[in-house]
Amino acid sequence: MELTPLFQWIDTQLISLVEWLGLPIWFAELLEMVLAAVAVLLMAFLIVLFLVWWERKLSGHFQQRLGPMRTGWHGWLQTIADGLKLFQKEDIIPTNVDRKVFFWAPVVCFASSYAAFAVIPWGEGVIPTDLNIGILYILSITTFVVISLLMAGWSSNNKYALLGGMRSAAQIVSYEVPLTLSVLGVIMMTQSLSMVAIVEAQESVFSWFIWRQPLGFAIYLVAAVAETNRAPFDIPEAEQELVAGFNIEYSGMKFAMFFLAEFLNLFLVSAIATTLFLGGWQGPFLPSWLWFILKTTFVIFVIIWFKWTYPRLRVDQLMEFCWKVLLPLAFLNLIISGFLFRG
Amino acid sequence: MPTAYKLNPISGIKNLLIGLWVTLRHLFSKSITLQYPTERWEMPERSRGVVVLLSDKETGDLNCTACILCAKACPVGAIRIERHRGDDKRWKLDSFSIDNTICCYCGLCQEACNFDAIKLTPKYEFSSYDKASLIYDVNRLQDLGRDVDYVPTAKKAAPKPVAAAPAGDAATAVAPQAPAAEPTPTVAPMPEKPVEPKGEGE
Amino acid sequence: MNEATPSQYSEEFEVNMGPQHPSTHGVLRLMLRMNGENIVRATPYIGYLHRAIEKICENRTYAQCIPLLDRFEYVTSMASEEVFVLATERLAAVEVPERAEYLRVIMLEFNRIASHLIFLGTFSLDLGAITPFLYCLREREQIMDLFEMTSGQRLTYNYIRVGGVAYDIPEDFLPLARKFVDTFQHRIDDYEAILTQNPIFLARTKNVGIISKDIAVNYAASGPVLRASGVKWDLRRDDPYSIYDRFKFDIPTGTVGDTWDRYMVRVQEMRQSNEIVRQALDQLPQGDYKTKMKAVFKPPVGECYARIENARGEMGCHIISDGSTKPYRVKLRGGSFCHTQLIPAIAPGMMIADLVATFASLDVILPEVDR
Repeated sequence: MELTPLFQWIDTQLISLVEWLGLPIWFAELLEMVLAAVAVLLMAFLIVLFLVWWERKLSGHFQQRLGPMRTGWHGWLQTIADGLKLFQKEDIIPTNVDRKVFFWAPVVCFASSYAAFAVIPWGEGVIPTDLNIGILYILSITTFVVISLLMAGWSSNNKYALLGGMRSAAQIVSYEVPLTLSVLGVIMMTQSLSMVAIVEAQESVFSWFIWRQPLGFAIYLVAAVAETNRAPFDIPEAEQELVAGFNIEYSGMKFAMFFLAEFLNLFLVSAIATTLFLGGWQGPFLPSWLWFILKTTFVIFVIIWFKWTYPRLRVDQLMEFCWKVLLPLAFLNLIISGFLFRG
Repeated sequence: MPTAYKLNPISGIKNLLIGLWVTLRHLFSKSITLQYPTERWEMPERSRGVVVLLSDKETGDLNCTACILCAKACPVGAIRIERHRGDDKRWKLDSFSIDNTICCYCGLCQEACNFDAIKLTPKYEFSSYDKASLIYDVNRLQDLGRDVDYVPTAKKAAPKPVAAAPAGDAATAVAPQAPAAEPTPTVAPMPEKPVEPKGEGE
Repeated sequence: MNEATPSQYSEEFEVNMGPQHPSTHGVLRLMLRMNGENIVRATPYIGYLHRAIEKICENRTYAQCIPLLDRFEYVTSMASEEVFVLATERLAAVEVPERAEYLRVIMLEFNRIASHLIFLGTFSLDLGAITPFLYCLREREQIMDLFEMTSGQRLTYNYIRVGGVAYDIPEDFLPLARKFVDTFQHRIDDYEAILTQNPIFLARTKNVGIISKDIAVNYAASGPVLRASGVKWDLRRDDPYSIYDRFKFDIPTGTVGDTWDRYMVRVQEMRQSNEIVRQALDQLPQGDYKTKMKAVFKPPVGECYARIENARGEMGCHIISDGSTKPYRVKLRGGSFCHTQLIPAIAPGMMIADLVATFASLDVILPEVDR
């Protein structure tokens, strides 16, 4: 049950519609873009709905609890209920905040994670846009998250928030380096930055890059967890130290935006891991998009598993780990793959 | 500054994996959650929850003799009793209230009581939106206590004279019945026929 | 490395940590003078939980004091009952039946385990590991169940009384207690598997918040905090009260006095307490659980100090009696109070995350500090 024919059908319908209206043909392309953007947005909301529930259930069962049980079957409506609650909440803007920056921080945060979805290959032929610099685009657009967290931390006019913002800036900028280097290994082998090309380079199970780049995958996974500010690298919001870090003053929908972005980022890094190392949509029997979702969900499971097992690192240890352990390893990985797979 | 601790990478990775294994094992074990409003924990018999006043099982009257021993035993002063001396010179209960907002559920009132009149029951669901409604009056306390089972203790079936009763006939008014033969405890004398118990006891 | 010297480009700032903060374990307020992430000065402010327990005791009879003292150190209420009752019994020379002593030891050691479980849970929580917290509370619930079926309450027991204990144990207590004792040692293995050798845990706790032997002794530290610094001092061995001299147990000590040592001492203490409970359950004699006391209890004129080894160090109670039904003066001593004083001494130069870890490892609970 591939989705490509559906898209083609929508495409022809749109073109005929535009022709019937007597509009230029680029208008059809514009419409397609808007449609794709809306579809991705809806998908993003669905993903967050699922992920929040998934994490709560998993964390519950890791701790021999049940997690949400009351809303719907095993609490599957819980996220919607929480979302409705957040919608209703008063949007508090504290007196002494920098209003403009305070307002835009969550928007930037959400927008940057959302924008990165443009190049996620959901399945064979299911990709909003196949940029030829896809992976580079993702790595650069997600960097905006740092700015938003810094904005939030600074504008809140709260010392805990400031500490959280500073921590997150230091952390994300640092971990960007090993993350990019670990991705480089894959790019060297595929000779392409396009997400589709990378997936297509992993035809069979044995040609998945996780086998050819195990060290690269490990580095990527660790750096990705750090990038998403999740435990054991969740120092920017470190509840026991900074109460809630950068989002301490946020409430209502603004908080929900940060929350959305956090889970979108979680999905994003897992999707990239799937694309780069786990063969993307490739897999037998099942339709390609389902394979993609399954693999991504598995990576998310692993990341959640980390979170509910490990304690949190300290801020200086985090930096030390990045620059003294991960970075040399990433370079080592690069050198090894340069030797082993020279074209 | 103390030096940072040197980690062994191999044992480090090994122990990281052990940690993951422990949580994974718990992931597939049965949860221990009790889904409270639908499932309920069976409270142990001795559990000390809401305080009730017990009534005589046959007559349905309160066991309380207004001796105020419980009020004196209460460390927080949650029990308030108003009483007056009746025609037969025994204490009559005017009002009895327990302030559940300050009650500390220590159970000292139950221990102080010689007449099986006051008891802490395993009932625990009595939360309220209104603080004032947590001050239980005598009717409420009696209603709560109606379905509470209690075994009238033999020791308590032979009560001492009422605490503040003056010398004279009133002291022996609540005379002991034969403890072994009669399981029903001696109850507070009924206002209507005050002389009866005395005669019965002798 | 962490020399806290402000330059013209940076400026120190104050952070008010608490009384409402996730890791201050109640209502401790710490004023932190910070230089970036580093602490220059930490000043604890206490008193947010002051309930004047000592003063209220002067207006209560001895029996009425006991439920009040449950609130003195509510994580190990049995201990705060025991210390008061012990002082009263010594004052009035009350004989305690054998069985009551055993029951007390069982309850006290169970309560020590419960308290250390809370420590372990909140400690790992403060380090960011949430899951062990839930595991610890799961075991603690079982202990609470045992307490509830015996005393009627889960937290404020009012169980240990002058001259014995309030009630004898119910029938199904012994099998359940034995089952707990047998399974619990494996549970500790689980906690240790997650934490003890975990490299992140080691990095966060090893050589963090070192309290040297000198500092520990000079600041009157006691209990696990003192033992972690390498002083083998345990009142159960060095000043035996109740019947502790009848049981075999080790006194675990640390070497460095860092956060990891304090964690380790407590984990091993749980194992030892478990063994004490096992021995006590095996030796439990038949007999009375309470001496017959007079209806109105009046100890003779005099004064008495009793101290016991609590989960949080030495807990003491000084009673002055004027011969009436109420104590003339009650003075309580809790380990937490002394341990809170350690914070200004060891905090400078730490990072804020270290302070959280160190504070959690001191296992301070505020009701015991403020009373």
